[in-house]
Amino acid sequence: MTDTKTQDAFKAREQLASAASSEVIIDLNKVNKWFGDFHVLKDIDLIVHKGERIVICGPSGSGKSTLIRCINHLEEHQEGTIIVDGITLDKNLKHIDHIRTEVGMVFQSFNLFPHLSVLENLTLGPIWVRKMPKSEARANAMKYLERVKIPEQADKFPGQLSGGQQQRVAIARSLCMNPKIMLFDEPTSALDPEMIKEVLDVMVELADTGMTMIVVTHEMGFAKTIADRVIFMDEGDIVEENEPNAFFDNPRHERTKLFLSQIL
Amino acid sequence: MAFVKTTPSMARKAPLSEGTLLGWLRLNLFASVFNSILTVFVLFIIFFTVKALWIWGIADAVWVADTRRECFNININGACWAGIIAWLDGIFYGRYPRDELWRINLGGIMLFIWMAPLWLPRVQGKILVGLSTVALYPFLAGYLFAGGDKGVFMQIMVTAAIVALAANIANAAIGFFINGNLPDFIIRSIRQNEAPEARQRNILLAILAALFIAVFVWQMNWTVEVVSWTRWGGLFLTFVIAGIGIASALPGGILLALGRRSKLTVIRVLSTSFIEVFRSVPLITVLFMATTMFPLFMPEGFVLNKLVQVIIAVCLFNACYLAETVRAGLQAIPNGQYEGAHTIGLGYWKTMGLIIMPQALKHMIPNIVGSFIGLLKDTTLVSIIGLFDVLTILRSISKDGPWLGLHQEALVFGAMLFFVLCFAMSKYSRHLEAKLSTGHKN
Ligand SMILES: Nc1ncnc2c1ncn2[C@@H]1O[C@H](COP(=O)(O)OP(=O)(O)OP(=O)(O)O)[C@@H](O)[C@H]1O
Ligand SMILES: [Mg+2]
Repeated sequence: MTDTKTQDAFKAREQLASAASSEVIIDLNKVNKWFGDFHVLKDIDLIVHKGERIVICGPSGSGKSTLIRCINHLEEHQEGTIIVDGITLDKNLKHIDHIRTEVGMVFQSFNLFPHLSVLENLTLGPIWVRKMPKSEARANAMKYLERVKIPEQADKFPGQLSGGQQQRVAIARSLCMNPKIMLFDEPTSALDPEMIKEVLDVMVELADTGMTMIVVTHEMGFAKTIADRVIFMDEGDIVEENEPNAFFDNPRHERTKLFLSQIL
Repeated sequence: MAFVKTTPSMARKAPLSEGTLLGWLRLNLFASVFNSILTVFVLFIIFFTVKALWIWGIADAVWVADTRRECFNININGACWAGIIAWLDGIFYGRYPRDELWRINLGGIMLFIWMAPLWLPRVQGKILVGLSTVALYPFLAGYLFAGGDKGVFMQIMVTAAIVALAANIANAAIGFFINGNLPDFIIRSIRQNEAPEARQRNILLAILAALFIAVFVWQMNWTVEVVSWTRWGGLFLTFVIAGIGIASALPGGILLALGRRSKLTVIRVLSTSFIEVFRSVPLITVLFMATTMFPLFMPEGFVLNKLVQVIIAVCLFNACYLAETVRAGLQAIPNGQYEGAHTIGLGYWKTMGLIIMPQALKHMIPNIVGSFIGLLKDTTLVSIIGLFDVLTILRSISKDGPWLGLHQEALVFGAMLFFVLCFAMSKYSRHLEAKLSTGHKN
């Protein structure tokens, strides 16, 4: 990681982050959520600036997925406010639909549409939601397939691809909607080790473009490379939050220390 | 423990494999003493059944005769197919006036032409072809079969159907022979392909409107004689009831299934009770209720003929059954598919129509076709409330003077007819399933 290219990229990211740091794009204020009687999210406060890259980690069941799923309203929070891109998430379906077109999400289990070809998976959103003409949508999709390095798979069906390829298609599918924010929920934890790198590489490249990203992951090397901030969650609380080097080298909270000792 | 091999292994002949006929027989039919006895026993039964059927139905059968008595005189051991042949018109068309049979044939041919593009390669817009078959063809065919005065609504629907049929044929020909689709072809042939999209759309709409008006004016003078529904019968009537039932049961079933899963309590409760009521009552009861109770709910002076009542009953009944089939299919779709669709901004109807339904229906093809087969066979129940479906006609042959007592042949013929239809449907569903599978692993 010492070649000049990565350093340049690193600098570019620094600049982007500082230039954009004034604009808040996600604002969570005292967010609470329960599943039945079970308190999953407890008074979560979180502010994300445009272009920021945040990694969330924490033990299983701590509410990481629930937190990022609240941001595009796949889960509904019960108390507190969530403002995304200037729009408050409430019961208004128009707001929710609008926010979902601005927020892309990548899942652990890919969730590609198995009955559609890769290209159709990518053009569906632009054609039906963005009302883009078909030829333009196709060109757009091919552009993103090139970016995730699998243009030759365009006419295959998801079931015919490897896990790593499927996840890259899923990333491209979200990017085709030209989102302002990308959410990743453990994008590599369903993958075989040899495929993890190809997906992480794509995500690092995406980070270099200045995309706002929130990534739930336990890939600590990746977190160190791209994150501006690492957030540690436990039992529905944000327990610790710091910039990556300090977070990993010098954790302050007992629970963070325990967690890091288990996964590193 | 150490081991050193001292003697080389000898090569042996391969065991009887499934690859050879003898091997297959040995493995599957004569694997053990019991298996062999069973095989011989079953072959024995098959042999005698087939032989008896062959002698009765083919070898000793009488094909040409004027009365059943004549059949007996020629060969008393064989089937008297002459009676069935004499009644073929009745079996296919019921008591439809003999001079007007061309209308039924034309309707059948139109259906064939309408749907043929679905199976032709390279044709585009197949979804529209399918939708228009369900939504427009019934009006054109309905008028053709029933005849009489067209109301304004009927005039519009008949015109729309004719326009759709013409467009469909042109589109299919263009797709099949020169690739592409009708709108593109029109735009290209009048050299407007550089024009902005709005202008292209306006041109197409103008052409469509002109065509619509021309056809409308033409069809105003086109009438066919009334044929009362009481004269409809035979396989034709069976196809009308089953066809409308099949075409409407699937959309109805989908709506009911969605209603049952709706978040809106009123819709959910209504759909659920509707489904449960219809599913817990036998079809024959529904048919009786439709013909006796329906008129009670209708406004004074509003008379629906019995055929329409029966068709409505069959549609509702089958929609409720399909609703449960569709619901089972929906439950098999993982939640991730909904989430995937939502994250690219698709709303409820688009998620359902583009992502969930296509997958659910694909899983459900065998069950759906199974329901359709059941529907086709169930239509024979309408004979009980006095419609002349194919079964009624077949049974009435034995009461016809020259063919008095011709039961067996008529029923065997009916059985073969239904077998061929149902078998074809189930074979086709297998084929569809194989064709639509895209190798996904869930
Ligand atoms: N739909 C649901 N209904 C009820 N409980 C749920 C639901 N979804 C999640 N939970 C519970 O909420 C808690 C937090 O779940 P969440 O998926 O957010 O955890 P996580 O931090 O993402 O864990 P993991 O690392 O295992 O993915 C868990 O205890 C889980 O059992
Ligand atoms: Mg999770």
